[in-house]
Amino acid sequence: MTMTRLFNHANYMTELKIHIRLLSAISGLLFFFTGCSGIFPPKDPYTLNMYLGAEPDTLNPIIATDASSHAINLRIYETLVDRDYDTLDVIPMLAERWEISHDKLRFRFFLKKGVYWSDGVEFTADDVVYSYNKIMDPKVASAQLKVYYIDIKSCRKINKYTVEFLYARPYYLALIFCGGMPIVPKHIFDDGTNFNAQKNGRFPIGTGPYRFEQWDTGKKIVLVRNGLYRGKKPVIRKVVYKIIFDPSAAFQMLKKGDIDVMGLREIEWERQTNSERFHKNFYKLKYYLSTYSYIGWNEARGFFADRRVRLAMTLLLNRKDILDKLLFGLGKIVVGPFYIFGKSYDHDIKPWPYDPAKAEALLEKAGWADHDGDGVLDKDGKKFSFTFTISSGSRFAERLGSIMKENLSKAGIRMDINKFEWAVFLQKIQGRNFDATSLGWSDPDFQDDPYQIWHSSQIKGGSNFIGFSNREADRIIERARLEFNEKKRIRMYHRFQEILHYEQPYTFLFTTPALVAVSRRFTNVKVHTRGLNFLEWQVKKTE
Amino acid sequence: MKKYLAKRALLMILTLFLITLLSYTIIRIAPGDYTTLKLGMQGALKTGSISSEAIEQERKLYGLDKPIIVGYADWLAKFVRLDFGRSRKDGRPVLTRIGEALPITLILNAISMIIIYIISIPMGIVSAVKKDKAFDRVSGVFLFILYSLPHFWIGLILLLYMSSGEYLNLFPLGGIHSDWAAHAGSIPRLLDFCWHLVLPVITLTYGEFAFLARYTRATMLEVINQQYIMTARAKGLAEKKVIFVHAFRNSLIPLITLMATLLPGLLGGTVIVESIFSIPGMGLLAYESILSRDIPVIMAITTISAILTLLGILVADIMYSLVDPRIRLEAKI
Repeated sequence: MTMTRLFNHANYMTELKIHIRLLSAISGLLFFFTGCSGIFPPKDPYTLNMYLGAEPDTLNPIIATDASSHAINLRIYETLVDRDYDTLDVIPMLAERWEISHDKLRFRFFLKKGVYWSDGVEFTADDVVYSYNKIMDPKVASAQLKVYYIDIKSCRKINKYTVEFLYARPYYLALIFCGGMPIVPKHIFDDGTNFNAQKNGRFPIGTGPYRFEQWDTGKKIVLVRNGLYRGKKPVIRKVVYKIIFDPSAAFQMLKKGDIDVMGLREIEWERQTNSERFHKNFYKLKYYLSTYSYIGWNEARGFFADRRVRLAMTLLLNRKDILDKLLFGLGKIVVGPFYIFGKSYDHDIKPWPYDPAKAEALLEKAGWADHDGDGVLDKDGKKFSFTFTISSGSRFAERLGSIMKENLSKAGIRMDINKFEWAVFLQKIQGRNFDATSLGWSDPDFQDDPYQIWHSSQIKGGSNFIGFSNREADRIIERARLEFNEKKRIRMYHRFQEILHYEQPYTFLFTTPALVAVSRRFTNVKVHTRGLNFLEWQVKKTE
Repeated sequence: MKKYLAKRALLMILTLFLITLLSYTIIRIAPGDYTTLKLGMQGALKTGSISSEAIEQERKLYGLDKPIIVGYADWLAKFVRLDFGRSRKDGRPVLTRIGEALPITLILNAISMIIIYIISIPMGIVSAVKKDKAFDRVSGVFLFILYSLPHFWIGLILLLYMSSGEYLNLFPLGGIHSDWAAHAGSIPRLLDFCWHLVLPVITLTYGEFAFLARYTRATMLEVINQQYIMTARAKGLAEKKVIFVHAFRNSLIPLITLMATLLPGLLGGTVIVESIFSIPGMGLLAYESILSRDIPVIMAITTISAILTLLGILVADIMYSLVDPRIRLEAKI
């Protein structure tokens, strides 16, 4: 962002002033001209303008996978249960209550009566069963959801307002999974057309607080308040999601007032939003969600199979320094995969320090030393030289890579950086065809289950692509999935983090906060555990 | 002429066939496919074997389990019926998606090209006539400076200076219509539209003058040194007439070669300009479909631009013979 610094330069300012006089004369004319016909209606204070960085694929919640459609569908569609914005407790949404059998296999939901889709048709158990069947239908492009519901044996209608899910095995997240399943209106979708291309994907009908109004491809998606919504009506009457492809252009729009809410990048937060004017117009909100970044060491590669080498790599990296340099200190160093403000995170474990001397001792114990005196460590005639594989879109990984390269070379380790386009990168990672990489995980629903990333069964073709395998960890992960007592589960997870801390399969880096600017046109803008919720916002009275 | 056209048509079909076959093969061998990409990092890697079954099912849905040649044959069979299939992204027909993106790209490109031609050809002529004089030198340097400024930089600078409201607030920050335009009359709407196009058109054009101006200058110089120009001058013709009637007309021939790139050029969008100014045009459509391996869309865009390129070349060849009767078409194959 050298550009912005450039503009603040004094020379540019004087030069600019001359132009400004000329140009403002023209602009005066222009505004006179357009203003005359009275075609600039005043901005509606009850409209919220949101920013979308990419166009959603579809607004069919069963097929959609991208973040944009998720953000919009959240306001249109509802699920059986929701989670409290602060406590994360499971709370009723479309179901008024539920019963769980003693063997934790049967989940019976009692639906609210008198809930209507925004076209006036009543919501019933048939919609739930239909949605489940569609998700599991091989002809439906819903692979991303299927994996969650594979353990469900059946979903059946008990009566018009009761449905029951039957699980094959107990799982403490089962309630959240089946209760959070997307539900679509059967009477709209079940018309014999191809579900994947159904026109309702672009004209969604839901039960939520907002209903769909317009989709102007590549430009915007508009929602308005749902008149048939049973709950408290939000104050904001209209939500416009503006599709803007370039984040820098979007940032300008934010400052100009064309957008009301936007996530900022670290540099924008730190350097470009400190003017008095910005503070007068925007709240700057910083909050942590469940995300973290890491460097993963592929244990299938000789050097990183040894725990001492992995630990040495962590000790060789000055994470505090990296955090300050790359992220302006906006973030926290983490020691494990759990949400840092959640119950599962173990605060008794302290991050490994930056300690090159200890790292060298560890490497030497592991047999890595500079035997031939060429400045590079070697062992049994093999040089310690590896490749850091990253996706070309990630600026963070790229800059991290150059710092790592420098730090490691001081210790006699040679590292090359290899960038690939996302699709190629993904294939390399999935094929476990890499030495080390840097990525981030996010757990948007605060599920905390480490199975997907850390269980040894997930090494082949799964998310455990670094190949972490530890018998005790496996046992903990398996038992925790069956443990419905939260306290006991948390104890298990603390032990699990100790193992991770000792083994260092990842060098855990940082959890970075969401940095959001919200227009001061709105009040009651609160930060919850789950983030912001514009349903509760008020509109500031203007004089 | 007829025989020539028939021959050319056959050749074009053959070329088109090879282009599409090659494109299809390249997309299919390129790493990554739509389903895996759609699921992303977390989805694609979730619960191992179970998810790979789900992914396999979905690949089958899109015909990605078939060998390349079968996949191509399927595509070709649909294409000859002018059916480009449906986009993977949103399940809508590919032609609908192209239909949405095309008009704005066409308008932007047409305006830009007209401006580029109107400004650079006269500049080229003047530079040639005043070879090595101040105008020639200064305009040359100036155009090359413009040429070397990157689009993404200039685009953002224009936005920041002209639209952000921090310095000036002359133009909108992107898009092609204001929010109010939907309810306005046709004249304010048109004005609003033009108002939105100013900055994108500037960004699209400023760097393109250099090439055409220099090209015109070079061909003009070649012609000016010909003996018939000397003859024209010797006859005592006015300099204007010598330059515009005798010299310029003859220098047109090489310029016609450029015409061949005009047709496909009208269709191609630029990702950078479109993304900076939030214009949902062809450039972004193509870019996004390539990144997500949306094969039907990629194939449709490739095929259409291949057809236009081939047509452009044909038109240029025919124009040659019109401008210069010495060129005989039959001899060209």
